[in-house]
Parts: sequence; structure tokens; C-alpha cells
Amino acid sequence: MVGTVRKGYAMVYSQQIMDDILGMLSQLSKDWEYSGDITPDTLLFEDLGFESLDIVVLGTSIQEKYHKMMPFSEFLSDLGQREVKDLSVGELVEFVGEQLDDAPVGGKA
Amino acid sequence: MTRRTVLIGLDGATYTILDPLMAEGAMPFLRSLAQSGVRADLRTIIPPLTPPAWTSLMTGRSPAHHGIFDFFQRESPDSMYLRFASSNEVASETVWSMASRQGLRVTALNFPLMFPARPINGFVVPGGWVPWKQLRVACYPPDLYDRLKALPGFNARELAMDMKVEEKAIEGCKDDEYEEWITFHIRREEHWFEILRHLMSEDPCELTAVMFDGVDKLQHLCWIYLDPAYADLIRTPEQRRIRELCVDYFRGLDGIIERIAALAGPDANILLASDHGFGPTVEVFHVNTWLAQHGYLAWTERASEVDGSAVLGMQDLGRYASRFDWMRTRAYAATPSSNGIHIVRPGQTPGPGVSDADYERFRDELVARLYDVRDPVSGEPVVAHIATRAEAFNGPRGELAPDLTLALRDGGLVSILPSDEPLRPREKPSGAHRPVGIFLASGPDIRTATHAGELSILDVAPTILYSLGLPIPTSLEGRMPEEIIKPEHLQAEPPRVDAGNGDPAPPENKADEQAPAEAIVHPVMDAETEAVIMNRLRALGYVE
Repeated sequence: MVGTVRKGYAMVYSQQIMDDILGMLSQLSKDWEYSGDITPDTLLFEDLGFESLDIVVLGTSIQEKYHKMMPFSEFLSDLGQREVKDLSVGELVEFVGEQLDDAPVGGKA
Repeated sequence: MTRRTVLIGLDGATYTILDPLMAEGAMPFLRSLAQSGVRADLRTIIPPLTPPAWTSLMTGRSPAHHGIFDFFQRESPDSMYLRFASSNEVASETVWSMASRQGLRVTALNFPLMFPARPINGFVVPGGWVPWKQLRVACYPPDLYDRLKALPGFNARELAMDMKVEEKAIEGCKDDEYEEWITFHIRREEHWFEILRHLMSEDPCELTAVMFDGVDKLQHLCWIYLDPAYADLIRTPEQRRIRELCVDYFRGLDGIIERIAALAGPDANILLASDHGFGPTVEVFHVNTWLAQHGYLAWTERASEVDGSAVLGMQDLGRYASRFDWMRTRAYAATPSSNGIHIVRPGQTPGPGVSDADYERFRDELVARLYDVRDPVSGEPVVAHIATRAEAFNGPRGELAPDLTLALRDGGLVSILPSDEPLRPREKPSGAHRPVGIFLASGPDIRTATHAGELSILDVAPTILYSLGLPIPTSLEGRMPEEIIKPEHLQAEPPRVDAGNGDPAPPENKADEQAPAEAIVHPVMDAETEAVIMNRLRALGYVE
């Protein structure tokens, strides 16, 4: 899992995924007149003004990119159990990394 | 030979509205086209609902084959959970793909169930549930959005999904919001036309298709302003103003259709089709209330929090699923859009459901009792027709469909909300879908001044393929309506059958049917609900 038993692999995957998703959001944000930087700490709802439908569609795009269906529903329901009902880019990357752990982008080291 | 072909989709268009508008001169081009070319009724599939109906038009397959039954999809036949339907769930090849893989170029704009867009030899801008913030990644090819963004007046916010605007089509407008809402749709259709104009001018394709969905939106909300049968209700200056704005919308649409025809030129065949018809609805059948009264469904205590409104907005769509006591619920309606009743089966919910051995008896009992629902005043039956899954959805994807699909006597949609009484009159009539829409055609291969009776929405895909000079796969369920084609053309170019194309899986479809569901999220998150929305989604069953 990312950041735990397979940290070495996960770091590789996560950096690739981080670059991919930051690139995706940065590309999109040009169309929103969003002038701030998008970093791993950026919150999708509070900072980027996402609505829930945006998360659905972003999730679909991510699955398309990696050619893999992912349990976004479970991921989002877990978010609902915690105090802060928002999602950072870093958390999204970590989730995607976990899902790709058995089929890593660029192959395992 | 390949004939350039243009398909103009008019979501929910009906002659009930178009004929009077043509007669009074508000739609002169459409009138001319209808008189000079082919005019027909177009019967849609069950249910007469935008996602499955357009998908049937685009694929030539019925829902039991293409797999789309509603705005939402059950995750699997054994699941009570729903997710947004996307192109991943479309199990049949689209006519765009058929034309593309045979070497033709295609432009397809604003059709639902096209996201994520599949690569074709041409251009795709999906319609439906694409939020404006992500329209860029929805377009195909990837550089298309930058081209569109450079167009004068391009406005992604108005072009793509804005949930706050879309809700009004279901929830209803406040009186002072009609003008803004109608003019928004006038602008929106112009935005789609500008994209179409750009692509038809700069990158003309053999097949060009565009869908205008403001027709459906206006008819839902403004039926009494559009249907001459309700003219007596339009009395005040403000009401007359709303009526005029509605007519302006259709006048503008007529101008757009004329400009598209001009861009296509005299050598193109032009087809116009709607996904379903429209008519008035005057009452609300609270189907879950009826099921509860007859012991098939039990509400939780949360059900008492309902305000009793008959109107259901998209933000409420899943809220009421959490109000079922699954231990005591054996049948329920999950969404207000498909008029579908699901019979709970073992393993789908925490409750026991209806066993396999008892299923047919239970279903038949339910059908019989639903047919016996009566208007307490007139004594007339409320449910006009009930289609079982076996009758309406006999195909490989049929198991995802509701067990029963109702057609109500007034053509309206059921409410899934609790109510004191199962049947309540609406405060004022509104618009609801009907099974019969419109089909018009004009062009060098199309007969002139012909009434073609009734066609099926499943006939449109074969007609498009024939017009393009392509063979028609035997897997398509409709027919090529030869009666709309000029005899001399039919003789010179008889329809060809693609016998080798049995029942192709869509080559562009990457969906893994066994994979976990994609994100299922409540479509709206306003300030009031933001703090609790994720928890609620889980409780609703929209999120596992």
C-alpha cells in the first residue's frame, strides 16, 4: 500500500500519478480563471470550487487515463466519515496510487 | 455512394407544440421542410426517457441490448446501488463509430452518454452530465477545446452542465425566473450552433449530428405557455411575456435549423428526430406511498422529515432511498425518471427480499394490484400500462432494468416521495414525456411531400447508415424505412446488409463490467448540504 509496506514502489508510482493529476488539474484550471497554484495540499471543493458532479467526472477521467475502474464510491464514502468533508489533491493521488499498486504506471522497479 | 448526412436532434420535440408554431409562422423553415420532405411520427423505446432513448437512436439497439435504462444505472443485477450512467455502460456500438471505422468523418455534438468521448474519425463534444469545468477533457480530439475556446462568444458555463440551471427543468422556476431561464436556453442553442458552424465550415464531415435539448427543458417547465390547449390560462401580461419568450426560443431554433441546412448545402440529406414526444401531466402518482399502503414498502422514521412537496429536484434524487426500511421493503421506485419499480431480491439489500421461488407470483400480484389503482373521484384506472422486465427488456442487459415499468394514464412520471395520498393533482399542468416524437427528413435522396406514418426510433440509425451509403448491420433492431426514400434512388442504391457484423461490442468501450463502480456522488452540493453530503450519500445507497 502507498506509504506503508511497499513504500519504495509507491513513491515511484505516486510521483508519476502526482504529476499526471496535477497536470490534469492545472490544464483544466486555465479554463476556470483560477489563478492560484495547484499543489498536493489544494482542496478540491474549497479551493477549486468543485461540485460533487465534478468529482464524479474527474474520477471517470482518471479511470480513463489509467484504463482501470476504481472504487471511487468507497473512497468518497470514507471522506464522509471524517470531520473535514473535502479532498486534497494529495489524498486523491494517494488513493489512485493504491488502486494502481498492482498495475503501476511505467512498471515496477 | 456516400451522401453527406446531417442529423438534428430535438430533445422531446412533439408536433403538439411544433404544428401550432409552424402554423402561426414562428417556425417557417421547419414548416417548409415538413411540407416539402418526409414527415413521420417517431415511436420511442420503453421508457420514453432521454438517456435510453437517445442511446437507442445512436445505436439502433433497444435498452436491453445497449444497457441504458435511466440517468442512473444499477451497478449490477444483484445490487441496489446506483451510479451515473456514462459511455462506459453503453454496450452497443454507436452509429458515429460505425461510420468512423468505415472511413467516414463524423461530428457529434451534445448527445448524452457520450462521456468519456470515444476516439472517432472526427469530433465529439458530449452532452449530458459534463460539468463546464471539465468540458476541456470531455472533448475529442484533445485539442478541440482550444479551438472552441477561440471562437467568438464561446462560453463553457452556458454550453455544458450547470446543475443549478438544470434543476429547474425538474424543480420548476419561480415566476420571476422564467425570463432568465428561457433566454439562457436561447443563448445555449446558439453556442452549440456556433461550434457546429465552425466545424462544418472548417472540417466538414460526411456525418454531422447535433442535439438541441432546450426543447425538452422548455416543455417540461412551460407546457401551459406552449400548448394552445391551455391558452385560457395565459391571462396576465407576465404570462403573455413568458409565452412570447417561449415562442422566441422556437423561432431562434428554427433559424438555427435553417442555417445548418444552408451550411450542409443542397447535396446533403437532413434528418430531424426527437428522442420522445411530450404532453401535459396533471397529477402525481406517489408510487412508493402506494407500495407502502399495500404492504410492499416500509418507510424509516426519516421519511417523516419530508416536506410533502410533489416536486423532486435532482438534489433530492437519492435522499429518499435512505428512507426505506429494507427489512420490510420488497418493492420500491428508486428514481423519479424511469417510472420503474424494482422488486427486492435476496442479497440486494440487508432485508430478505422476494425469493426466486416467489418472484413470479409476487410480480404478477403487484401488476394486478397496480392496474387496480383507481382515481378516487372518477374511478378510472391510474396506471395505463405495465411492462414487465421480460416484456420490455428482453436482452443481455435486461437484468439491470426495473422489474416493472409503468405508463400512467396522464403520461406523467411517478413521484418517489411520500405523500398523504397516492394520487394528487398538480397545482398546474406541466410537461411530461410521451412515447411518440417527431421525424422529418429532406434532401436529394428523400421523397418529397410525404407523410410516412409512424417510424421507430430504432429505424433512425439504419436510415443514417443508408444515407451515408454504408451497409446496415443485421444486429440493428430497426429497419431502413424505404418508404421515405425516392424510388429511383432506392433502385440505384438498394440497402446493403452487413451480415458479418452480428452484434459487435463497441470497439471504443473500455468498461470492465466486473470492475468496481465508478464514483457515485450526489449531483448537487449546495452550502446547506455540503457538511453532511458524503455521509448522506453512503446512507442513501448511492455510495457503498
